[in-house]
Amino acid sequence: MLKRLFAPTIEVSAHCDLPCGVYDPAQARIEAESIKAILQKVAEKPDDQDFKTRAAIIKEQRSQLVKEHLWVLWTDYFKPPHFEKYPQLHTLVNEATKLAGAGGTKASWDVATADELLGKIDEIATIFAETKKA
Amino acid sequence: MQLGIAVVRGRSMLPTYRDGDRLLVLYGARVVRGRAHVVDLPPGPDGPRPVAVKRVTRRDGDGWWVECDNPAEGVDSWTVGALPESAVRARVVTRLPHRRTG
Repeated sequence: MLKRLFAPTIEVSAHCDLPCGVYDPAQARIEAESIKAILQKVAEKPDDQDFKTRAAIIKEQRSQLVKEHLWVLWTDYFKPPHFEKYPQLHTLVNEATKLAGAGGTKASWDVATADELLGKIDEIATIFAETKKA
Repeated sequence: MQLGIAVVRGRSMLPTYRDGDRLLVLYGARVVRGRAHVVDLPPGPDGPRPVAVKRVTRRDGDGWWVECDNPAEGVDSWTVGALPESAVRARVVTRLPHRRTG
């Protein structure tokens, strides 16, 4: 009788697919800081061609990682209500990933390009922090 | 209709329900908009998802739109779309008072 009235106790999930808090613009920021450090080191050794070649390869890889971290945030973290509240967000992610591409840190040897990229990442991070507080 | 207990795991229903909260749920109950329910989510990229607790916020076509109370965390209709009628298993009647331990 009681069995018919009472179902077995179950656990109900209030989880994400992944451990919560895996998304963070800080990941993109760390890679962008690496890019900036590479550019600074290359500027210190303008005559070392071998060093510059290796720096180019590493800078290419780090730039790609920046793009991937930002894409994951854009596709997996930000949701329609966020885009409604922050209409500039799509453009911001687009501009930041461009700055980490061939139009940005992949091609440039100028430290200012890395600073621009860091600035864009910080703008995204500000919005991210606000959505976390909501 | 059957009563049951559901134990909450995770943070996506904060601040309403915390990890470890025990909920009294009614299986087969009528869906009530705005109330939390026990639902089946569609399978994810890593296979089936566990039975979940979500808030039903509105009708969406023939299904129900469900959301987390904690917008920063969790899988809900913003990720998986509306759920079919059959995916809503039980309605949360109330949260049981905490048993104080130690």
